[in-house]
Amino acid sequence: MASPGTNGEDLFENLRKSDPKKLEAEEKALREREAAQRAKAQERLRELVASNSTLPVTISSIRLIGAENTRRSFLDRLFNPILSVNRQKVYTLSEALQEVGSAADKLRKFEIYRDGISMFIDRPSQTDPSSTPTDIDIYLQARERGRIALKTGTDLGNVEGSAYGNLTWRNIFGGAESLNLNASAGTRTRSAYQAVFDIPILSDPDKRLSIDAVSSSTLKPWANHEEAVKGAGAKYSWTTENGTRHQVGYTGAWRQITGLAPTASPTIRNDAGDSFKSSISHTWITDRRDHPFLPTNGYLMKTVSEIAGWGPLRGDIAFWKSEMETSASRPVPIPGIKGNSGVSFATGFRAGVLYPLPVGFGSTSQPSRTNDRFQLGGPTDVRGFKMGGLGPRDGADAVGGDVYAAGSANLLFPVPRVGKDSPLRFQLFANAGRLLALKNQDDDTSKSVYSTVAKLGDGLPSLSAGVGLVYAHPVARFELNFALPLVVRSGEEARKGLQFGVGLTFL
Amino acid sequence: MPSNFSHRDAAPKPESKFSKQTAQIQNFFSIPAPIKTLFDFVPVLVYPPNELPQRAPKPSRIPTLYVFSREEDIAAGRPSFNPGCLKWQAFLNIAGVKHRLAASSNHASPSGQLPFLLPAADTSNTNLLPVRSNQLVKYAEDHGGYVEESTSMRYEAYRSLLDHRIRNAWLYTLYLEPSNFSAVAYPLYVASASSNPLVRASLSHQLRSAAEAELLKNSSIIDIDDLYSEADKAFEALSILLGDDQWFFGCDKPTLFDASIFAYTHLLLDEKMGWKEQKLCRTLKRRENLVKHRKRLVVAYFGG
Repeated sequence: MASPGTNGEDLFENLRKSDPKKLEAEEKALREREAAQRAKAQERLRELVASNSTLPVTISSIRLIGAENTRRSFLDRLFNPILSVNRQKVYTLSEALQEVGSAADKLRKFEIYRDGISMFIDRPSQTDPSSTPTDIDIYLQARERGRIALKTGTDLGNVEGSAYGNLTWRNIFGGAESLNLNASAGTRTRSAYQAVFDIPILSDPDKRLSIDAVSSSTLKPWANHEEAVKGAGAKYSWTTENGTRHQVGYTGAWRQITGLAPTASPTIRNDAGDSFKSSISHTWITDRRDHPFLPTNGYLMKTVSEIAGWGPLRGDIAFWKSEMETSASRPVPIPGIKGNSGVSFATGFRAGVLYPLPVGFGSTSQPSRTNDRFQLGGPTDVRGFKMGGLGPRDGADAVGGDVYAAGSANLLFPVPRVGKDSPLRFQLFANAGRLLALKNQDDDTSKSVYSTVAKLGDGLPSLSAGVGLVYAHPVARFELNFALPLVVRSGEEARKGLQFGVGLTFL
Repeated sequence: MPSNFSHRDAAPKPESKFSKQTAQIQNFFSIPAPIKTLFDFVPVLVYPPNELPQRAPKPSRIPTLYVFSREEDIAAGRPSFNPGCLKWQAFLNIAGVKHRLAASSNHASPSGQLPFLLPAADTSNTNLLPVRSNQLVKYAEDHGGYVEESTSMRYEAYRSLLDHRIRNAWLYTLYLEPSNFSAVAYPLYVASASSNPLVRASLSHQLRSAAEAELLKNSSIIDIDDLYSEADKAFEALSILLGDDQWFFGCDKPTLFDASIFAYTHLLLDEKMGWKEQKLCRTLKRRENLVKHRKRLVVAYFGG
């Protein structure tokens, strides 16, 4: 390195001589030194805290530095409960630090500050008559993120490519409220506009209320039509202490089945036109997997229930819809390999029922429409079938069904040479499913639902098996499979050979 | 195409480098033999097809005409409340082409407008394309219907009377006359589509502004008196044309032209439509032979 005294020419020479390898090595050494220093400082702090962990303290003040745009009342709700004035018990130092740490954690979850909220502790001057000897002051330093973020880009999804523009306005009223505007156009989603206003309740990042409005137009090539939706809704979501997430919401949506292809079937033609859905839904998720896209251990359970049109909800359609999804993964120990072998076994199961109801306070239940019925099949659920390839078909159209069940079993192996730490796996899979429509049974809905559910077990389900490659990218999971359909219903669209899938959730 | 550019011809010449490459590419894309045997082997088990949902229409051996109509009128084969649909419904009845009706909306149509005819699916061809209204004459001819067209030179002129003057007055009186819109158009076209007030408001607005745009296509302002007096003149001209004949242009049986006149006269004279502003209805009622013409068609082709 050139010392400050060196003249310009030498400096120039020095720079010219330095080769990239040397620079890299220097940089690496610097980084290591910094890391070592940080570790040492942390160690010292830990020792200090440990040796004083039972020291009685009172938190007299908490100050958040660098939060110009955040409302005082919003922060008060977060910090007031942990100030000693508002508590009966005296803290020990470690308790106090834990409390403040969890408050800082909440701050982070609002996503209005940049990563790395740091904490300092100070003792007020003993000459201050208002202070007691146990008082400490806490300083938290945060850096606010930009209030307006504009993002554009392209997305690759399930058999779909799209371009989007996204505007996020964070911390609008200084209470971590956000407004998100999204516009996208793609190969399947012809256009979609969405606005979401999201606000945390009582300064709790795990309790959120959001209001959204959407207008979209989506091609449904498996049923030869296009669906235009204009809707609005409100949702409230919260997380319980054991990590289970809940969401309840209301949605009102005007749907139009339009733009029919010339080959559209009579069933789709019959359903073409307008309908208004007014529904309340509840989602429950408990996710204990170790990875969202390529889990090797843990389980996921999810249920979605929706009631539409019944009683005061009104609208044009009425039904009760219930869906459940579970998946579980376990590492498989291989004799001779110590520790994690990288081999894992995963199973998944999904099922759903649509129970027709009378609209409003009427007495005759409404048979389901194409846009409310379930679709099954495709590279992300029952592999070896085309999108919507399972279930009832009218001509070329997958018209959907009212009852379904699908399951899968996958055995995942690390790819030789690449190793178990990479996000790449070989898989052997078998998956099966059944999708059925309700039958008219003398206007007795419950009888018809029960008999259809019972019919799920008639014969073998539609089934396929195969091998493939799985890649867990940080934003989505990619699969390239070679599948062979083994059992099908006549008319169902199976797919022999290679199939490519991208998605967030796989069966 | 010259034969030396064709892949098939090029393949047997081993000396051509290009042909070797294409052959390789073809091999690459064709399925290797062992995999093909595997593909032929699956699926191992094929069950009968899944049954269709409850709302799926029952298959029939006769074609289906998709029209604007009420559910209760469909089974009885009663006239559609939309003149465009009624014209073709009457035409098919006159031609003797057996069909069933389906109550529908413009969204179902391949042209974006009703009516259209969906041929019956039979065993020979399952994937039948819908027949648009402008192909219905040919369809009727091909399917043994009675089709007679007037060859009169004046035919076109009278048709344009109908397509412009009477249609414009119809659009005004149905969609833009507020009392008629709320009493006639709203229940038929808007309330039947959705029960939601916001959707209804949006559809009402769409209907009215589409009618307005249609009227402003030909003139810069909408002159109400002019619209009605033009319609009056058109009815007068048609009344003179019909004279004491049974059907227009002196035909022995009604033709498509009779059906098109009937489409408007029936709807204007039908008590069940519940017109509030009856200016256009009164204009028509004065031409007695047109009123009788409509009556004859109702009796002969719509069961009274």
